[in-house]
Amino acid sequence: MIVEFWGQEFKVNVVLGCIGGFLIAIVSSMFGFGGGPFMVPLMTVGLGLPMYVVVGSSLLAIFFNTLMGTARHYQFGNFDATFFLVMFPAAILGGFIAPQIAKRISPLMVKRVACAGLLILAANLLGLF
Amino acid sequence: MKRYWLSLIVALGATFFMIYQSTLLAQQSTPSPAPAATEAKPETRPEEKKVEAAAPLEIKLDKTNLDNGGTITVTGQAPAGKPVYIEVSADQKVRASRFDSEVDKETGKRPYVLYMTHEMPASYKIYVPTTQKDDLDKIKKEGSKWSYSQALKDLGADVAYSAPGKIKIDRYQATLMGSIVGSRGDLLPAMDDKENKKRSMQLVKARFRSPGKVFSPTVDVKPDGTFTAKVSIEPGSAPGKYSVRAVVDKDLKSQPAAVENVVGFPIIYMSNAGTSINLLGPFLLTLAISIFGVLMGAGGGFILNPLLVSIWPLPHTVVAGTVMPTVLFSQGSGIYNYSKIKFISWKLGVAIGLAMLAGGFIGPKMTELITLDQYKFVFGWILVILAGLMFWQTTPGYLEKNKKEQAILKEFKKRAEEAAKAKGK
Repeated sequence: MIVEFWGQEFKVNVVLGCIGGFLIAIVSSMFGFGGGPFMVPLMTVGLGLPMYVVVGSSLLAIFFNTLMGTARHYQFGNFDATFFLVMFPAAILGGFIAPQIAKRISPLMVKRVACAGLLILAANLLGLF
Repeated sequence: MKRYWLSLIVALGATFFMIYQSTLLAQQSTPSPAPAATEAKPETRPEEKKVEAAAPLEIKLDKTNLDNGGTITVTGQAPAGKPVYIEVSADQKVRASRFDSEVDKETGKRPYVLYMTHEMPASYKIYVPTTQKDDLDKIKKEGSKWSYSQALKDLGADVAYSAPGKIKIDRYQATLMGSIVGSRGDLLPAMDDKENKKRSMQLVKARFRSPGKVFSPTVDVKPDGTFTAKVSIEPGSAPGKYSVRAVVDKDLKSQPAAVENVVGFPIIYMSNAGTSINLLGPFLLTLAISIFGVLMGAGGGFILNPLLVSIWPLPHTVVAGTVMPTVLFSQGSGIYNYSKIKFISWKLGVAIGLAMLAGGFIGPKMTELITLDQYKFVFGWILVILAGLMFWQTTPGYLEKNKKEQAILKEFKKRAEEAAKAKGK
């Protein structure tokens, strides 16, 4: 598939993209997270697209997944309205506060902390301690 | 300066967590003064007294009102030398499900049947005599493989098992094709009473998971048959009526006595999750994690979900199903902002999006087929992969490439914004 973006043309292996997206969507909707951190590497490394094409388009692709996942979870009765009303304002508030902090700290540092934190959490979930 | 801000965030996060923990502790250490039974009797109480008088086994409760949990002392007189069991079940109902994929011993086939009920008591516990503490400890040592029906037999508590035995259970025959298209499968005919009771026991285990949640060895039976039991409704239990019933054997049972549990703000009851929690806890956790999530460029769900199921007794299905919609709006507004400056390739996004739409159709179906332990296990590996991706993004090679990419991204975005502005004029 040929994709045109701001005057440039990119050849995209749409089969690989769709299979990858399909698998990521299953796992992410099953476990209830967005899937962005997996989609962006898939599209940049797997499909060889530059970052500026990926940022918006990956968000659009993920939105489809979130929309469908939400509807299906609702259908299966997995949605708790009270719980949602507690978390939703916090998530929105977080979205406003984060950019203020982001200007002042290095993303590299955040990623290193995140990396360590994720490993600790993973070890906990896998029952290592 | 950067270090300063980072440490500030960590410190703030830790403080919030500690505040939350200490409020939890405060709740546990100071059980709120529940009014004594004599002061506030529910209206149904006099009637029950009459019925109880007719039954040979009588129980007395020291109080009938609780404020977000507490301990009730149950006393009574049973025939000498017999064990006494006390069954406590909440009137609030929750959902429980179990996917049976274990090989059937008789036929040697895997049944692949999904059992589901909407009538499981939000909390259920059988109190057994203190003398059976060792037996219960043995069951606890079996780990996650313990069997609820076997435990009932070993403890002799099967005579007391009644409330969940009659719940309505739906059975669905799952098929591979059905799972792929995301259907629960065909509804099988209803089970007979005996089968229903057997399956309900498996659902009790699926819902409450650990033996400590459904058994407690606190019934102190004296040689003359008088018994006292400490029945504790834990903080975080469902509000509403609880039925307390003493059972000696098949024919000797007391009438149920009622206990009312009141849960007040800021502790709220989540009817779908079957748990009451202080709403500040999840609020602050979500806030902290979503800030951190945006900073590291990944959604917060990765960290939020495992923490939610680990800290609070929330079912993983409800966590997955409720966290997902919270990002819907931020994603939507992100798309709107990008589309205003025409920074989305609709062709590419929709093409991959349709594949993801199909995936999103299947995933939620799978959530209810797995147990919490499996959920945690797989999530653990997902986080390992994510940590690997994060680490790769901090390697020098990636950073250099990323720097260029970011510069180009900025340049293109600027042009796009200018173009959008020019068009606007």
